[in-house]
This record gives sequence, structure tokens and C-alpha cells, in this order.
Amino acid sequence: MKKKLINNNRVVLSLVGLVLGFMIAFSFRLTQDETQGHRISDRQWEQTLSLRNELIEQEEKNSSLQKQLDKQQDVISGQEKDLAKEAQVFFNLAEDTEKYRMYLGKVKVQGKGVAVKLSDGEYDPKEENINNYLVHEHHVFKVVNELYIAGASAVAINGQRLAHNSYIICDGPVITVDGYQHPAPFEITAIGDAKVLDSALNITGGVKDQLVNDRIIFSLEKQDDITMEPIPEKK
Amino acid sequence: MWLPVMGLIIGVIIGLLTDIRIPEEYSNYLSIAILAALDTLFGGIRAQLQNIYDEKVFVSGFFFNILLAASLAFLGVHLGVDLYLAAVFAFGVRLFQNIAVIRRILLTKWSTNGDK
Repeated sequence: MKKKLINNNRVVLSLVGLVLGFMIAFSFRLTQDETQGHRISDRQWEQTLSLRNELIEQEEKNSSLQKQLDKQQDVISGQEKDLAKEAQVFFNLAEDTEKYRMYLGKVKVQGKGVAVKLSDGEYDPKEENINNYLVHEHHVFKVVNELYIAGASAVAINGQRLAHNSYIICDGPVITVDGYQHPAPFEITAIGDAKVLDSALNITGGVKDQLVNDRIIFSLEKQDDITMEPIPEKK
Repeated sequence: MWLPVMGLIIGVIIGLLTDIRIPEEYSNYLSIAILAALDTLFGGIRAQLQNIYDEKVFVSGFFFNILLAASLAFLGVHLGVDLYLAAVFAFGVRLFQNIAVIRRILLTKWSTNGDK
């Protein structure tokens, strides 16, 4: 009876030990798993945090750099506009220069235009004064001025180009242009819009009519290709 | 005396080998249950040393305390009150008291043995 009781006692105690051991071991394993998981997640969290901070830093840097870039681009575009304006100005200046050079006779000019030929009138025995049908320098002046007014770019007398400071004087039987004598007939060539120049000279009561009135033989010819050499520099 | 120890070892082995996953919120109950079990165990040892050990009381107390602690924690979670703290407190205090009593009894026994 006693023996059985002891046995029974031990069986019950071992059951208690079994349950206790199981519970402790199970709980221990569970907690260990959890803490391990936590530890890993902690590490991961820290890593995530540091990465995120890095990312934020990078983004801030990026945005500040982007702002800087925008500013620089603004500056550059402003400068480009300025440059474009300057280029435009230079282009205009170059054009003007070319134009003025042309007027000054510094460059070779080529283009369409008209050629006017002024010849002395036929000898008329009735007329006492021979001057009445000779070409005078003021006739040449009229034609030249009219051509300039009508927009001629360059004018030449008998192939000698006129500059802004050219002079034409009557020198007895000849006229002198910039120191060179020219006899009649005078051929005045002008580069410009042939149609305009032609109609400017031919206008009723205009230069042609006046010249014809002075018994000068006036002939006008449109030419497609007139070339004028630059005026040589005076010594 | 080796049978309960064997039971304990087998229990530990089973506990370590089982691969049952329980949700995290239930691990609290298990901790409370372990506390209750330890309390009862030390209570039993003390009773044994004081010669007032009763197996029925011990075994019933062991399982009943485990269930009570677990259900108390469960109730606490569902009521929104941390009732498991009550169990932790109660069992913790009793655990320390029991161990203190055991220590004194052992000390007394040891000194009387030494005197002899």
C-alpha cells in the first residue's frame, strides 16, 4: 500500500515536472525567437532609418542643386538673350557698314541699273551760241542728283565712280570729275532699281525733258549687270 | 526520485522540439502560467519541508493556478485592463516568500546538522 502510494506520488510528480518543463522550454524558445526576430528587425530598422536619412539628405542635396541649376540656367538664358541682341546689333552694324562702304565706294559693287548717255547736240549753224547745245556740268549734276534721289546705290561717270566727296567742275571743253577730265559724250551709270531710276529720269517735266529742251541728246538704257570697281584711295 | 526529474527533462525536450507557432499576444498567458507553476512548485517544496505537504492540494493547485493565471490574463486583455499584472504581482510576492521560507528552513536544518 505504501509502495503503491509512493509510485503514484512519483507518477503525479513526473507529470507535474513534464508540464512545467514543457511550458518553460516552450516559452523560452518562443521568447528567444521573438527577441531574435526583434533584434533582426531592430537592426533592419536602424539600417532602414540610416538609409532613409541618407536618402533624405540626398534628396535635399538634389533639390538644392536643382535650384542652383535653375538659377544658372536663368542666368545663361539671360546672357544668351543679351548675346542674341548683341549679335543682332552686330549684324545690323555689319549691314550698315557694308552699305556705307558701298556709298563711300570702298567696295566693288555689282548689280542691275541704268546707263544714261548725254551727247552734245548736232551742230546748228543758226545758233550763235555753241553753249546752247553742249553738255554742261550742270546737266551732269542734274542727272547724277536725280539718280541719287531715286535711290541709286552707286553712280559713275564714264566709268569713274563718284564718292560722297566727289566734285564735278566745268573745265572749258571738258568736265573734271575728282581731278580727271572727261570729254563728251558722258555716260552716267547707276546701280539701283532700274525701273525706278528709269521712271525717275523719264518723268514728265523731269530731267530728261529739261535736257532735251537744252538740245542735248539723251539716251537711257537699262542694264542687267553693271560692275563698279572700288574708288582707289587718294594719295 | 529520478522519475520526476526524467519527466522534467522529457518536458524540456518536447518543449524545445515542438514547432508550434502561437500568436505573440498569447505568449503573455504562457509567461503567467509559468509563473503560477513555479509558485506552486516552490509552495509544494516549502510544504514538504514544513511537513504539511499534501499531494492533492499540490497537484490541484499546480494546474488550477496555471489555468487561473492564464484566464486572468486573457480576461484582462479582453477587458482592456492589465489584469495579468495582478497575477504577476501576487505570484511574484508569493514566490519570493516561499523561497525565503525554504531558505530559512534549509539554513536551520543545516545549522542544527552542523551542531550535531
